[in-house]
Amino acid sequence: MFKTKRVRDFQSLEGVITFFGSHHALRSEQILKKRDIKAELIPGPREISPNCGVALRFDYSKKEKVKKILDEFFVHYEDIHYYPVN
Amino acid sequence: MVSKYFTHWGFEEIKLVKMYYFDNAATSWPKPGSVMKVMQRYFFYGGGNPGRSGHRKAIEAGKTVLNTRQLLASLFNIKDPSSIVFTKNATEALNIAIVGSLKPGDHVVTTSMEHNSVMRPLRHLEDGGVRISVAKTDSKGRTAVRAIEREVEDSTKLIAVTHASNVTGTINDIEAIGNFCRKRNIRFLVDAAQTVGVVPIDVEKINADLLAFSGHKGLLGPQGTGGLYVKNADLSDPLMRGGTGSLSDREDQPDFMPDRYESGTLNVIGIAGLGESVRWVIDRGVERIMEHDSQLLEIFVNELSENERFKLYGLGKAYEQTGVVSINIKGLSPSRVGEVLDRKYGILTRIGLHCAPQAHKTLGTFPDGTVRFSWGVFTKQKDIVDATHALREIAEGS
Repeated sequence: MFKTKRVRDFQSLEGVITFFGSHHALRSEQILKKRDIKAELIPGPREISPNCGVALRFDYSKKEKVKKILDEFFVHYEDIHYYPVN
Repeated sequence: MVSKYFTHWGFEEIKLVKMYYFDNAATSWPKPGSVMKVMQRYFFYGGGNPGRSGHRKAIEAGKTVLNTRQLLASLFNIKDPSSIVFTKNATEALNIAIVGSLKPGDHVVTTSMEHNSVMRPLRHLEDGGVRISVAKTDSKGRTAVRAIEREVEDSTKLIAVTHASNVTGTINDIEAIGNFCRKRNIRFLVDAAQTVGVVPIDVEKINADLLAFSGHKGLLGPQGTGGLYVKNADLSDPLMRGGTGSLSDREDQPDFMPDRYESGTLNVIGIAGLGESVRWVIDRGVERIMEHDSQLLEIFVNELSENERFKLYGLGKAYEQTGVVSINIKGLSPSRVGEVLDRKYGILTRIGLHCAPQAHKTLGTFPDGTVRFSWGVFTKQKDIVDATHALREIAEGS
């Protein structure tokens, strides 16, 4: 549970989901990873949302699938953005 | 290191004496050893503030809280874990549910077996114009649906019922009461402080809109933990408002779960321990724990029921009662019995009114109260036999 986190390469993850509350951010990471969709929690970029301290970087090509999964698990998110790293 | 401040905790003295702990209905002891280990690990390696920042310590703390929330959700068969709110105990949860959901002019029905954590907030609201009806239970503490139905009015907003009495352990048929609430479209609040972890609870089956529970009783977690299940965020107003780590650009309270009710930094170290204890309880199986408590109940009741010097309250029936029995010895005051049990035999019980004057009036034991024995998953059959022997000795010696 408390292992040191390795910095992963998430250059390829171009989508960012923003949330109202952190419970939902953490839960969505867990749910997506379980379904083999690449996802990585990041400090929420202020320029796209002032709401929650945590946002989720994910594989933007799977946007529609992700939307469906999040709704199914009662995860409330604010918005899905196209937000590449560079 | 020598401190100039002398602190005396007194734990060591307690450790030296052989003890029988029969006060699990107040708080359970001992706890699974792994609970302390998880809390220790959180203390040394975790320690961030959940939901406040995006750095890894904050995220790990957030995951710790999420983990406990999910375990509780699977224990109660709750589909959306975010509908569980952490509180410092069942009392705080009941206060959110009661004070937050009633307005002046509303009517509420409760029962005559309630704990003061339900009665006191209600009596406080009564001064502000909320009307209260108390449904009478039978002399064993059981609440009939008909007794509640009789008190219900058109303006009834809430029905608040304890799942099991903390005085007699009597388990209410909350499924039947829940069905009634669904039919009449009235909010249903269940006080599960005494049954969580020792009686199976399924919020869908019992149709609970609000369910308050403590973390340090049947769930075997650390003190300072508890929670409230809220079916919809618009059911109740929060008692406290403040920082949640969300909607930080706005000065009004978030309206979504669980942030609406969780202002300020959570007791994450306690919640980490609670998560481990819930995992332990799920692994052991609530049904199995109930079976264990019921077996001990049969032994306890069998040992004492034939002796006419003892008066037992409640049903005295396995599976219809939690591991709680209230007794009195004829001719002796409860406080005297409790004192001798502790001083002479090392048997720790709770005497008096158990924060439930209304319940003792129902049983006819007000204002002296009873001697309450409550056991748990770590209590052995021999402990029960030893306790009944001690009780017989006290009864004969008087």
